Amino acid sequence: MNSIADSFRFLLSDLTGVDDCATPTVPGGVPEALRPEVAEAIAALIAYQGPSYAELYVHRLRRFARRRDVDAVLLGLIAREMARRMCYDDPIRIAQHHLATAHHGDAVAARHRFRLDELFGALPGKVGRPLLMGCERAGWTHLPVSMRFNACSGAGRLRLRLEAGLRRWRLFSARYASERAWVERWLHMIDRGLTKQPAAALAIAGTAAMIQGSGDGYRRGLADWHALIDGIVKPALDGVLPVADLAGAIGEIVALSRDGASRQVAIAISRIREEATRGA
Amino acid sequence: MDVSHLAQTFGSLFVSIFVVATYTMKTMIPLRVFGILTNVILIAIAIPTHHYPTLVLHGILLPLNVYRLHEMLQLVRDVKKSVNSDLSMDWLKPFMTKRSCKVGEVLFYKDEKAEEMFYIVSGRFRLVESEIELPVGALVGELGMLSPTHERTQTLECIEAGAVLSVTYTQVEELFVQNPEFGFYFLKLASARLFENIGKLEDRLAEYTYDRAAAAPA
Repeated sequence: MNSIADSFRFLLSDLTGVDDCATPTVPGGVPEALRPEVAEAIAALIAYQGPSYAELYVHRLRRFARRRDVDAVLLGLIAREMARRMCYDDPIRIAQHHLATAHHGDAVAARHRFRLDELFGALPGKVGRPLLMGCERAGWTHLPVSMRFNACSGAGRLRLRLEAGLRRWRLFSARYASERAWVERWLHMIDRGLTKQPAAALAIAGTAAMIQGSGDGYRRGLADWHALIDGIVKPALDGVLPVADLAGAIGEIVALSRDGASRQVAIAISRIREEATRGA
Repeated sequence: MDVSHLAQTFGSLFVSIFVVATYTMKTMIPLRVFGILTNVILIAIAIPTHHYPTLVLHGILLPLNVYRLHEMLQLVRDVKKSVNSDLSMDWLKPFMTKRSCKVGEVLFYKDEKAEEMFYIVSGRFRLVESEIELPVGALVGELGMLSPTHERTQTLECIEAGAVLSVTYTQVEELFVQNPEFGFYFLKLASARLFENIGKLEDRLAEYTYDRAAAAPA
């Protein structure tokens, strides 16, 4: 009887969000000093999405933990930034956070502002994608939407539970697809950096800090990051743009982006490209 | 006792046997065959007994079952033919979805968990790490499905806008489970392609060893 129940649970697992994956452990090759931090990241990812998602983190981290050319500093940075980027901010996460604080006796009510594309992007792809496309056509993607997260009342907590329950479909959302592609591209750039310009690998890993939070700040950081990678890092690693000090160039762009100067970022990228081309 | 009453009594008994037999089938081809037989019998009973809704329902289900059976048999025939000829994976095309690619778009990254295979239809694509350009008609990622780690060994980047066909491993696994004969020939085909790759590597290794020996001072 149990096996029949298990079969039906498996059949409906996509719908119910049941995650049968065993709890992952810190991968071998991670230095002793880093292990508590990685274990904490695994626990955070399990709370954020589930054991399978934490397993994906471990799998990604293992790629670098087994390499001889990756030291503890670089591995620590990758582990930290990857955990942060994999727990990206969306309305589901805010609802999860409010429920968790209420559970610990600190119930609060707060209002959060999102862009319309952030809300639709968090929905399952089949529902969210047509809405996103409609939004893009109408030019409404950046419209601000204010949402109240209230853990102080029973009705508010019920609503939070419903919103947090959307996490079972998070991995089918348009936002997850783009976040997954981003993490893979970032890891690929670090991997290419280690092979082609090892001195710049740490700086490349540090570019993840350009993307923070949600809303317009997140979009600006993401646009700056892609401009940096497409304009300087990728051509330099492909050998078509001879940048003398790649780590220095990356550091300059990261600092400009941190100050919120997107126009300055574009100007600096053009200047660095020009200098590199002239130098060649 | 009139003819229609007789047809109804014996027909119901006969149909019951076929319905039970259909549901006991474990794989898709016998299930479709028994489904077709059940449809035919129910149509044959519905005519003399004037059960028109049943006639209409099974009149729709019969061609559907026949078409699906034809699809499955065609697939097995194509895979079998491929094993015995050029090891092509063209038979997979009807199950694939077309996707356009822009310049610079990366289809997958090295070490990423592999979930689908691609068939290059047009444009130019390059394996980044080995700097090898793949020709139109190449299939990428078919062995990843059978590897225990499901990891990509290279990064695939689009260097000239084009299109690819893609199919997820889950879809191929479904075909595999539905039809053991397809599974058997698919395994044979994948092994043959793997052996072909090993053969090519051995040839290259032999060439390399020969060149080194020739270049070495006497």
